[in-house]
Amino acid sequence: MTSIPDYMTSKHRECDDYFTEAESAVAKDNWSEAETKWQLFSDEFAQHLSQEEETLFPQFEQATGMTAGPTQVMRMEHQQMRALVQDMNNALEKKLKDEYLGLSETLMVMMQQHNMKEEMMLYPMMAQHLTNGEQLISSFEAS
Amino acid sequence: MNMSGLSFNALPPIDLPFRFFLTAPLFIIACSVYVIFYGDSLWLSRWTPGMLTLTHAFTLGFITMVMMGASLQLLPVIGGIGLKHPRFVASTSYLLHCIGTLCLLFAFNFTHEWWFSLAIVFLSVSFFIYIYALIDVLIKKLSQGDSIVGFRLAMACLIVVIVLGLVLISRNLDLASIGLGQVLSADKHFTNIHAVWGIAGWGSLLIIAVSFQVIPMFHVAPNFPVLIRKSLTWFVTLLLIIYLFSPSWSIPFLFRAHAIFAMCLLWVLSQRKRRITDTTIRYWQFAAIALLLSNILYFLPEAWLVNDSQSNSIVQRILQQKELILAATIVYGYLVSVIQGMLIKILPFLSYTHLQQRCLMDFSAMQLIPNMHDFFTKKQALILFVLHAVTSILLLVVIIDNQFFRLFAVSLMLEFSWLFFLLLKTALLYSQVNRKITLSSQS
Repeated sequence: MTSIPDYMTSKHRECDDYFTEAESAVAKDNWSEAETKWQLFSDEFAQHLSQEEETLFPQFEQATGMTAGPTQVMRMEHQQMRALVQDMNNALEKKLKDEYLGLSETLMVMMQQHNMKEEMMLYPMMAQHLTNGEQLISSFEAS
Repeated sequence: MNMSGLSFNALPPIDLPFRFFLTAPLFIIACSVYVIFYGDSLWLSRWTPGMLTLTHAFTLGFITMVMMGASLQLLPVIGGIGLKHPRFVASTSYLLHCIGTLCLLFAFNFTHEWWFSLAIVFLSVSFFIYIYALIDVLIKKLSQGDSIVGFRLAMACLIVVIVLGLVLISRNLDLASIGLGQVLSADKHFTNIHAVWGIAGWGSLLIIAVSFQVIPMFHVAPNFPVLIRKSLTWFVTLLLIIYLFSPSWSIPFLFRAHAIFAMCLLWVLSQRKRRITDTTIRYWQFAAIALLLSNILYFLPEAWLVNDSQSNSIVQRILQQKELILAATIVYGYLVSVIQGMLIKILPFLSYTHLQQRCLMDFSAMQLIPNMHDFFTKKQALILFVLHAVTSILLLVVIIDNQFFRLFAVSLMLEFSWLFFLLLKTALLYSQVNRKITLSSQS
């Protein structure tokens, strides 16, 4: 059985891998490789965010009664990251290398500090408060 | 787990760290002019007024100044809690630190007693406010282990360095007339403790602690090995304590500990997944190589360098100036390199993060925020690195052959003027966009 912090953190690393591979491909002007990796990233990214927003955050809010706390900030940051991902989609479509790399540096930094807050604080708090944490992760793994 | 103390948005206002960052290069620019006017006698030993001025302009005016500003920002990120009353703490300690450092630099040159007295008053009050505020946070149970431990140890070293520094400069005062007499005898051992604890304790421990956190984060690299993360900062601290009693036994181990750190650093960087060119990576690599070179110079048996057939004047000079060369390689090649590398990474990062936090409530304003490369380009960062590398080499050259002091001073001035330009550019773009976001949220 995998815990919430272990599983969700491993998903962050997986997203990082696809993200950096796409970024390296753009830097080398290898646009087809970039598109493949970017697609893998986008799918993982979207799934991860929805697992948090639709399952983990509501359960955590219910268990702790903290509806306007960390989860609220995380939701707002998700929105901002989605906007950056959209901008990067456009840059990739138009093959705008400098634009893409400037945005990727930005999203990278934003993702890393967002992930750090989740990994250092939110996930351990979830593991502590959600008694059904491992079951939830099993359902994620099965999906 | 106590969640009430945890804050996801504990970042202090950006102008607080920015004032430290923007002022720091000005000390070095002023210093470069001073080096030109002082002449080549500055480099004769570590005890000349010129050398004392230069080292303290670097350590207090640049290194500590930036670290004080960065700590304000780092604590909320790595510990999850910000300072209480950040504006009071940062503004007061900043102002007093600037005045105190200037007084100390004047004191080294115009040995009037009152310059020393003023330096003691301003620096002690400044550090007291700053350290008290940080300790108030650091004693709490914070969210994360390894970096915070290193942070605490670095802070403990800073206290020792400051207390010792204040006592050392108090030797210039006529304390006998007020019944205190000389607190410490004029023993080189105490000045060495002050210097070694400052460099390997306050400077290096903070850098080591921060590297555990920021290298995996910014460069998608693996974590440092667990053993290193858990034990290196404690090991260095232990060696510093041993140094108090047995310097000759402790110093070789301090060098080795830093060689291990340098090799781990190079290994972690080599394993990074993010392969895109990045000037901050070059700075980290440069710093690691400087540490390894200082180890080579320290451990190389002098008999290998000096033998009848090969000894020449350059080798002789290197041996004569070994202490200064080691200090320069460690302070300039290691500490200053990492600090510059971090500055060019965290400035756009902080600017972006602060602007982004402002847009949490006004999502449409996100489009106004520049991307990281808009603050300054990769090429502009690379120019800074090249200037830094050139100045580092010229620093070694001038220590070996003092006549090149003007060339070194010009290179130093160019490097830190360029750094100042990049900092100013970022701060101006930040405030410009910040105003636009305010207008957008009002409309």
